[in-house]
Amino acid sequence: MLWLALRFPRLAVETLSLPPPAVALHRGRVAVADEAATVAGVRSGMRLAGALGLVPGLIGRERDLAGETDALHRLACAAGEFTPQVSIASPDELLLEIGGCLRLFGGLPPLLARIAASYAEQGFARQWGLAPTPLAAQWLARCAPVDGPPPALVDDAKLRAAVAPLPVGVLAVPERTAGRLTTLGVWRLADLMVLPRAGLAHRFGPELPGLLARALGEVPDLRPPFVFPEHFRDGLELPARVEDAARLLFAASRLLAALAGWLAVRCAGIQSCHLMLFHEGRPPSRVELGFASPTRDPERLQRVLRERLDRLELVAPVVSLGLEAPEPHALPGTNAVLFGHGGTTRLAPVVERLRARLGPEAVHGLTAVADHRPEQASRPVAEPAAARSSEAPSGPRPLWLLPEPRPLAEENGAPCHEGRLRLLTRAERIESGWWDGGEGLGDVQRDYFVALSPQGEWLWIFRDGQSWWLHGLFA
Amino acid sequence: MSLSASALLQSLQRSDLWSGARLATSSVSGVASGFPALDAVLPGGGWPCGELTEVFQARQGIGELTLLLPALAGLVAEDGWIAAVAPPWPLHAPAWQANGLPLERLLVIRAEGQETAWACEQLLASGALSGLLAWLPEIDTRQLRRLQLASESHPGPVYLFRPAAQAGMASPAPLRLTLDAAPDGLAVTLFKRRGPPLAAPLILKVKRPVRTVRRTARRMTPIALHPVPVS
Repeated sequence: MLWLALRFPRLAVETLSLPPPAVALHRGRVAVADEAATVAGVRSGMRLAGALGLVPGLIGRERDLAGETDALHRLACAAGEFTPQVSIASPDELLLEIGGCLRLFGGLPPLLARIAASYAEQGFARQWGLAPTPLAAQWLARCAPVDGPPPALVDDAKLRAAVAPLPVGVLAVPERTAGRLTTLGVWRLADLMVLPRAGLAHRFGPELPGLLARALGEVPDLRPPFVFPEHFRDGLELPARVEDAARLLFAASRLLAALAGWLAVRCAGIQSCHLMLFHEGRPPSRVELGFASPTRDPERLQRVLRERLDRLELVAPVVSLGLEAPEPHALPGTNAVLFGHGGTTRLAPVVERLRARLGPEAVHGLTAVADHRPEQASRPVAEPAAARSSEAPSGPRPLWLLPEPRPLAEENGAPCHEGRLRLLTRAERIESGWWDGGEGLGDVQRDYFVALSPQGEWLWIFRDGQSWWLHGLFA
Repeated sequence: MSLSASALLQSLQRSDLWSGARLATSSVSGVASGFPALDAVLPGGGWPCGELTEVFQARQGIGELTLLLPALAGLVAEDGWIAAVAPPWPLHAPAWQANGLPLERLLVIRAEGQETAWACEQLLASGALSGLLAWLPEIDTRQLRRLQLASESHPGPVYLFRPAAQAGMASPAPLRLTLDAAPDGLAVTLFKRRGPPLAAPLILKVKRPVRTVRRTARRMTPIALHPVPVS
């Protein structure tokens, strides 16, 4: 087992999404300060007035405990992208069992880099620790620098030595116990570990030696796994009314990261999902996100979202967001391949971007249909696929076909297109379609010719009962 | 600082330097056009890859796509994708298929105005395509430069079709050519390439829908071919 503990030390203030410098308050005192405020010297426990004295432009907002719990659940959901075994350690820690998925991500350093990038993108500062037991990993995370380098790999043999220098503060024991430990001269875990366990239990109760035993792997430490929800539906209150669609991106990207993690755990992908924008006193607006193929790639989700939000005009200021995913499609993970699939995997993301901006019908493939009428023989399809009818047409066919035949002038019975046309073939009679006169193209009776204009244009023309028509170009 | 003569000679041997009178040799060989006479006058021995090729034509339907089809069919045969951006008319699937372009590797993108150049840029930058055909009647030099930059990550040829009236505009494309109809084929004028401009247009025999063209002298009157009108 290899546990990665992720601690989000600024969760309280990051949940509020305030512009820096900002602090989250608890009963009028600073609970958590963001990076800018911490650098300026604001510490937790300060009064707001004192903090304002240090940082004049500071924004303080009462912390939102329910919002923090929701945010931690969302972060746990997003962690599903890396491992299915996630557990929540309230109030601000997550535990990820990553021993089983190292190979999938190509080893420990690439996996840690991906985890760091994912949380940085969602805008959460993190501390992390790595240990064979969950509790030791939590202790190491609590002492790690914020947004620090990847933690060193600690195995069973080195576990004792790794936790020994940590201060007793990491134990998170009641204040009274901590005070008595200091009175005893116990500052570091090393001091605590040399004391006889029986005596510790006698003085401080059974919890303290129990903690040590769990951290050192002497007794099992069972953690309740995070249960991924059956259906994905998540919402996010915005800190302020947002009037510019582009500014929704950051908040919405947190929801999408959670969705990507949830999909990864279910081995599923989605082809569409919708983002609800809630307004004050108006019905919510709905933004559909569509994808060319079922996906759970967070980057693809983000790209389509960005493209849609860039072009969105808000009807009213937005106060909160919701993200709902319909029943997902099964999308098993792909085996690593030695050779690419002809660039198809690289093509799908760009096709999505084009469709998001130009419209879903703007990017299409073509298929040939077994129909003699030229208008019916070529049809756009959403997914390019091999044509079902490989039957070659009976005569020459032009590369361009005009959407509507264009009437040609006539001179002594001969067709003209900036000069008299020379007909180069015998007539190819196309007479078909009497059966769908009601809705389709209907019955056609035409004689087609290849014609050459005096300017050297190769044209495909036809004559119906009355007149000559231009229908295609042999480009 | 003086440069010794041998160092100068050595630097002149570089493949990315060419003297004005000599055709450049490219380190990246081009895509064979299917016309040996054309390959001989193209730097790199074929259509350039990862760079823009501008095609100017006053008229459509003179065989401009037929000229490119052998090269495109070769790219598709190697499992590559071809995209047509903003084609002036709908593509007729049976004809493309009959000309050796399997439809499962062909993508059509409908775009208008400024969106066309944007779509091209996205497709080129993705590097997922083997060949790109784009019709850009109203592109400016700045956008062309962006496309030329984006095409660096594109592994195959890029053909931009533009009206002949714009041939005088400055362009970063290293290969620019004009197509005209000629009595017995297609006249290709390479007016910009890495090397000296070509003195005379090249007349290429591109594939035509009809095998032989009867000379004007033996021309039959259209009346004789006139079909019996359908009643």
